[in-house]
Amino acid sequence: MAIVKMSNFSLFAFDSKRENLLHELQKFKYVHFYDLAEDESLMDEGLQSAEIPESLVAIEEEIIKVKYSIDLLSKYYVRETGIKAMQKGKESFSFDELEDKASKVDYHGVYNKLKELDTKKEALNQEVIKLKTSVDELSHWIKLDTSIKDLSLFEQSHIFLGTIPKKLKQKVQNELTITELTYFEIISEDKDNLYVMVLTYKSEEEAVKDILRNNSFSILKLIGEDTPEREIAQINDKIEELEGKISEYEEEIVALSNNLPDLEVVYDYLMNEKLRVMSSEKFLMTESVIIIRGYVPTDMAGEFTETVKAALDNVYYLEIKEADNDDPNVPILLKNSKFAQTFESLTSMYALPKYNEVDPTPFLAPFYLIFFGMMLADIGYGLALLIGTTVALKKFNLSENQKNFMRFFNYLSYPTIVWGLIYGSFLGGIIPMPALIDPATEYFNILIISIVFGIFHLYFGLGLKAYLSIKEGKYLDALFDVGFWYMALTGGIGFLLPMFITLPSIIKNISLVVMIIGMVGIVATGGRESKSIPGKAVGGLYSLYGISGYVGDFVSYSRLMALGLSGGFIGGAINMIAGMLFDSGIIGIIAGVVVFIGGQFFNIFLSALGAYVHSIRLIFVEFFGKFYEGGGIPFNLFRSEAKYINLK
Amino acid sequence: MNFSEFMVQYGGVFFAGLGAAIAVFLSGIGSAIGVGLVGEAASGLMIEEPEKFGKSLVLQLLPGTQGLYGFVIGLLVLGKLSVGMPLNEGLYIFAACLPIGFVGWLSAVAQGKTAAAGIAILAKNEEQSTKGIIYAVMVETYALLAFVTSLILVNAVSF
Repeated sequence: MAIVKMSNFSLFAFDSKRENLLHELQKFKYVHFYDLAEDESLMDEGLQSAEIPESLVAIEEEIIKVKYSIDLLSKYYVRETGIKAMQKGKESFSFDELEDKASKVDYHGVYNKLKELDTKKEALNQEVIKLKTSVDELSHWIKLDTSIKDLSLFEQSHIFLGTIPKKLKQKVQNELTITELTYFEIISEDKDNLYVMVLTYKSEEEAVKDILRNNSFSILKLIGEDTPEREIAQINDKIEELEGKISEYEEEIVALSNNLPDLEVVYDYLMNEKLRVMSSEKFLMTESVIIIRGYVPTDMAGEFTETVKAALDNVYYLEIKEADNDDPNVPILLKNSKFAQTFESLTSMYALPKYNEVDPTPFLAPFYLIFFGMMLADIGYGLALLIGTTVALKKFNLSENQKNFMRFFNYLSYPTIVWGLIYGSFLGGIIPMPALIDPATEYFNILIISIVFGIFHLYFGLGLKAYLSIKEGKYLDALFDVGFWYMALTGGIGFLLPMFITLPSIIKNISLVVMIIGMVGIVATGGRESKSIPGKAVGGLYSLYGISGYVGDFVSYSRLMALGLSGGFIGGAINMIAGMLFDSGIIGIIAGVVVFIGGQFFNIFLSALGAYVHSIRLIFVEFFGKFYEGGGIPFNLFRSEAKYINLK
Repeated sequence: MNFSEFMVQYGGVFFAGLGAAIAVFLSGIGSAIGVGLVGEAASGLMIEEPEKFGKSLVLQLLPGTQGLYGFVIGLLVLGKLSVGMPLNEGLYIFAACLPIGFVGWLSAVAQGKTAAAGIAILAKNEEQSTKGIIYAVMVETYALLAFVTSLILVNAVSF
């Protein structure tokens, strides 16, 4: 229940054994390497980096090949979808099984075949594109019913084919009227251009050329022999033939797509191998000895020593000792009960604790449950979550992350139902229920409950801060930073409470005294880190000013009420609209049912999202702000995260 | 009927109705702008990485809540409307609608901008995208406070 205790190790081994050592350590999994290359003093002593760039390049090339094959094949591979696929999930492998399987797959063969097919197919595709362009070009000349090769056979006259901008149509026609032995015809036109043929006798050729030039004429040269129409037909035949070949190649690729699952396994294996090769960047070496430093969980230190011993045939030097509490380089691994474990994602979303802090996960979990439930607060929505997540957990083969996610919402469904019972809300009030607190009328009580939860939550956070100070032996800090605040806040609340409810005046007086003692204490000690007297005074006053922040914090908890109410009202509004539709005939009933189901799902999604993020906010800003710093480095398992399989 | 007679007779229901309208349309406009802003930013992302659609949708929805708060207040006021409402009650309800109307409108726009920036986090570093959501939720606090205030005001005083 908390942060896993770590031991740091220094290992000296012969470089010749490195491969085997790393391989065994990867199987062992729980090793975090410290980057020795960052330590310049060691480099100055003549140690060199132990990285092997050639092997990294080699393995990356392999990965690119496999990735290429996967990307290509996944376009054609038909995967199972829907419920069946989810029941099946990803295949699970142990590390040994993965290696075994990957070594049996001939991915080079598949890659070479694919590469060849794909290259051929691409070349044909290019050709088809080229042919299609010539069809486009020729299509403008379909009306020309002479063979293209005959056009250049005139001896006494000359023929021009080309385009003229459409807007010059009138101009060119006018200008050409002065010629006598010239024939001008517009063969076709598109959006911008006229496709024209000009036939002229040699004596007039220069004059016509000038006119054409002045009208932005640009010559087109037609390629081919026969008439444009027949040329097009021929080219189209060719295209058809090529496309036939392309689909043949495609079929061959499709035939290879059965290899996809195997390739995916290879990919995940190679990614692990890459990680292994890359880890050498963090080591240093002399001529023949390699130096590795890192961390292992303390309770696994024995197993680690055994692994090292076996991998290195007893020839090594290993030093293991428990990590120092204040060492900032200790990587953080969290270990919690099955229940609290699902909330670890929230902690790591903010920041992992430092090694000398506490793991806040078990403390935030119960509050998160209460807050989420209070904001979603509907029996129907809670049941939907409960049933949905239970089915998913029971029936589907999920990865560890997905399982945690489902379990998270599974736990959250219970407080949602409980709060739904308290508010008497079932699917936004579709079934009238007796309410313990009716949100429509007693929202002020809910507001008070919300603020009380807030006060309790913040006091708990302050309490954790005191606990941490006491753990470190700083008893006075606990009194100064927490004790006085307890007094000031509690006194302040007690002092202001009689404004709302009648209490014996003695309470008000005692509260006033307690508050003043607390406040004086805060002013006196808040600036104790300053050196000078004025510095201390100003620091103390500034600390007391922090009380305004507490007011803001308390008010912030009003969202517990607000989100609960808005979700309830929106659900109610959906029911109202559906109800109105329901009263108006058959079509109305159908529309009403659609509105009801669609609307309620929309509201579940929106309210759950709101409850999820606003609970996070209360934890991160209000709660963590009181005691938690964070900033620990995550413990990187010596495994790469598998993309296509479950790696145990 | 001259203007003052109209005000005396129907002023109450007119102002209460106006309040409900303001609560709904101002916050609705804000949410529409906010949701639109995020949608624009997210569309650019979908070209390259359509698999991030789900997460981008979450970011896009965030500025949508203000419109719903306004809608809830509008519905509550709707339940109180009656033709013969006195003018003072109508004006009071009108005032009660102002917080969610104005804060809902402007906070939704601000939240939309924050969430649109969150799309950049989603594009470049998917694991951290929840932090973009949290940033956007920070803005929502003020809309929630305005909603709570409007809610209490609408219900607190009975004439």
